[in-house]
Amino acid sequence: MTTSPIGRIGRETDRVDGPLKAAGGARYAADHQPEGLLHAHLVQATVGRGSVRRVDVSRAEAAPGVVAVFTPFRPLPLNPPSPQQSGENYSALQDTAVRFRGQVIGLVVADTPERARDAAALVSADYAVTPSRTSLADGSPGVAQGVVQKLADGVPSIDAALAASPVTVTTSVSQHAQHHIAMEPHATTAVWVDDHLTVYTGAQAPQRAAATIAARLGVDPAKVRVLCRYTGGGFGQRSPVWNEALLCAAAARALGRPVKVVLSREQVFTAIGHRGAVRQTIRLGADTDGRLLALSHESDGELPAAGGWQMMPGRDTSAVMYRTPNIRIDQRLVTLDTPPTWSMRAPAEAPGMFALETAMDELSVRTGVDPVELRLRNHATEDPVEGRPFSSKHLEECYRVGAERFGWSGRRARPRSRTDGDWLVGTGMASAIYPAWRQSATARVRFGDDGRVTVSSATSDLGTGSFTVLAVVGADELGVPVGSVDAEVGDSALPPGGVGAYGSSVTTSTVPAVQAACRAAVEALVRAAVENPRSPFAGLDPAAVRYRRGRVEARGRSVDFRTLLHAMGVPLVEAVGATDPNTTSPYRFHCFGAHFCEVRVHRLTGEPRVARFTSVFDVGRVVNAKAARSQLRGSIIWGVGHALLEADPIEPDGRFAAATMADYLVPVHADTPEIDVHWLDHPDPHISEFGARGLGEIGLVSVAAAIGNAVFDATGTRVHDLPITLDKLL
Amino acid sequence: MTQHEGITRRGLLGMVGTAAAAATVPLGGGSAAAQPDTGEVTVRMTVNGTATSLTADPRVTLLDAVRERLGLTGTKKGCDRGQCGACTVHVDGRRVVSCLTLLATLDGASVTTIEGLADGDRPHPLQRAFVDQDGLQCGFCTPGQIMSAAAVIAEGRARTDDEIREQMSGNICRCSAYPGILAAIRQARTEMR
Repeated sequence: MTTSPIGRIGRETDRVDGPLKAAGGARYAADHQPEGLLHAHLVQATVGRGSVRRVDVSRAEAAPGVVAVFTPFRPLPLNPPSPQQSGENYSALQDTAVRFRGQVIGLVVADTPERARDAAALVSADYAVTPSRTSLADGSPGVAQGVVQKLADGVPSIDAALAASPVTVTTSVSQHAQHHIAMEPHATTAVWVDDHLTVYTGAQAPQRAAATIAARLGVDPAKVRVLCRYTGGGFGQRSPVWNEALLCAAAARALGRPVKVVLSREQVFTAIGHRGAVRQTIRLGADTDGRLLALSHESDGELPAAGGWQMMPGRDTSAVMYRTPNIRIDQRLVTLDTPPTWSMRAPAEAPGMFALETAMDELSVRTGVDPVELRLRNHATEDPVEGRPFSSKHLEECYRVGAERFGWSGRRARPRSRTDGDWLVGTGMASAIYPAWRQSATARVRFGDDGRVTVSSATSDLGTGSFTVLAVVGADELGVPVGSVDAEVGDSALPPGGVGAYGSSVTTSTVPAVQAACRAAVEALVRAAVENPRSPFAGLDPAAVRYRRGRVEARGRSVDFRTLLHAMGVPLVEAVGATDPNTTSPYRFHCFGAHFCEVRVHRLTGEPRVARFTSVFDVGRVVNAKAARSQLRGSIIWGVGHALLEADPIEPDGRFAAATMADYLVPVHADTPEIDVHWLDHPDPHISEFGARGLGEIGLVSVAAAIGNAVFDATGTRVHDLPITLDKLL
Repeated sequence: MTQHEGITRRGLLGMVGTAAAAATVPLGGGSAAAQPDTGEVTVRMTVNGTATSLTADPRVTLLDAVRERLGLTGTKKGCDRGQCGACTVHVDGRRVVSCLTLLATLDGASVTTIEGLADGDRPHPLQRAFVDQDGLQCGFCTPGQIMSAAAVIAEGRARTDDEIREQMSGNICRCSAYPGILAAIRQARTEMR
């Protein structure tokens, strides 16, 4: 690992927010209990499409403790969403249309959570129902979103290139809707003081959330503050502001009292976006040695009429992964009357690479070329569509190191040839890719007269380790112990320009800003030291004064910053640093990885179990080895869910079939294999001076393919429709 | 509605593993007293060593009681259906999901939440181990994980990795910090002997 001489970059650092979380002292959105608090509960539509004709609120209003019942006929005023923003395209309660089953059609406010919940159950609605469009298969092919195509000279079409290839493989895969299942159900506590609004709600982008709430409520953005110091997971679903937070803030305004709304777990499945269902077909053309001659990737993704995230699974996968002279990416969207979709960890890359890497395994079987060797033969040094080079790519090393750590070399490529008692044993591998991107970012660094340094940035820590990244980088840059640095995130009132915690981009984007802020704060400290008449360095030339490891030094005198601030009578010195990434880079920025796994399938029951996993990543520079390992391992476990467990099929009437945690299965402790995670030590020289590319999502990409490929090796059965459940292996 | 009597019973409780022995604090015993006028019930119990009396709607769960009425928000509501384990606390030394435990059934019981696990300012060995081994990320499931782990170790059901994995499978961690949780339980198991 890359380590700096005095700092902790790349080493094992305990999470700075760990002790408070382990003590139960970290306060999440629902843990705030302001004076005079009222409790709200959502009412959701029970039909899949149509309109609300009438809502009977009489029983709810008569129930004990009820303060107010809001419906489309007695709405809380909200502005419509900006057409420029993706996400839901309507505001709750502003019209009588029902766009999907589970849409919010009411809000009941009462004095206790139990009374609000019970009164919400007493609200009844009459609907005019129209048939729902819920079948992705029936709606396919959807509407094309712009085809990406590059053909070699003289090749008329991708079909012609495939037809001319000695070997072809066609692989069609599908997956149902998936849910984020962040452990903290969505919750909001809204408090108005005069015309200032404070909103406690989990937000991946606190400043963007505050701006959205202000716009939707029609208030001055300067008077809205979003606080989310601790947030119980995001995985994408806390990027936008959902109706529950808007209605909560509006109800608090209307009633003149603080209001809290906590979604039930079941409500989260429909009121908050999910990863849309998607069907994909990969067609590969190759020579008999497995060298790709043509690649076609077509997809049909769910796009709800109510709005949501656009599922584009070919763009950052097949369009960049392998060298091929002919390529065509056709991503289509199908309008359905389903709850809103939203980005979910490796939103398009996890499904996209499942398709591509399953097809590559089938090509390996067809050509008899070992899966690792096949990928080496098709290794790309530049992206196959635009021909731009990668900024830093060490994927071949990932394959080599991974194969060695896993013990791949002895593999026999004969499906259903290894058993251990009643278990069929197989191994599989897959390549991973995930785009790296830098947002412009801002950070503030403060020297305090208590001897502590505070590093702040208006991003969010969803369990992703940003608190610790800020502390470690600040400590490294200023040459002080990590323990003397406080980190602040999750507050929209911090200096403007904090990055959203999505796209695996917080570390990539924020570290350079923290470094810039540290340098600016040191400059400010030195300037104060020479300008303040009470300073021991007063009147010196700033060039003769230097900062080193928490001390200001000149002319043989060395004073720590705490003493200096006290001497000057100044409580703090601070500075803001901002970065604006070079957006005109000639390079493609991507993270890479190679997964290897062993799967066991029971001979009699078909039960698939992942036995062990080895993954090697090329993610640029790593700040905190401890948190990085956890995040990568956690992503791989997510991939076990993707492969074997997670699916929420939708019924013809628009009802999710598995919208509880008992029905929608995520990996539990006993589903966790032995996981060996390793990363290479190659800082990216082009993405920033620091060289981090981010690692929050790459670990999940292609895990499902590696598992599916191992299941094929174990059983001889290729499962194309996720999840790989035992019934498909009998 | 809420009344903290402020009597410290910590001395009676001792360590988690032996809490069961000292669990039934004599506070009147029997079932909760019904209040005929309001339909509410009065429950006297010990929470983290403090004798506590609550009068509440009989539908109130232990989870909502500690969070909303006692202000002990360390215990988390992840599903309210007994499906995720985030709300795990100890009742008379046993691990229970507090979302499926009605307050009205707890007259005379002794309840320990995450806030009552440390020994004063000294964190419980599991609380230290979860930090040492990075057995948490977002931290939302962590109180429940730690309360379950404390009971699993006390029950002697943390002997092997597979046994820990099985016994801890009622506590879902979507960040999937399971390898760190496993390592933390191994570490604390040694310290708690």
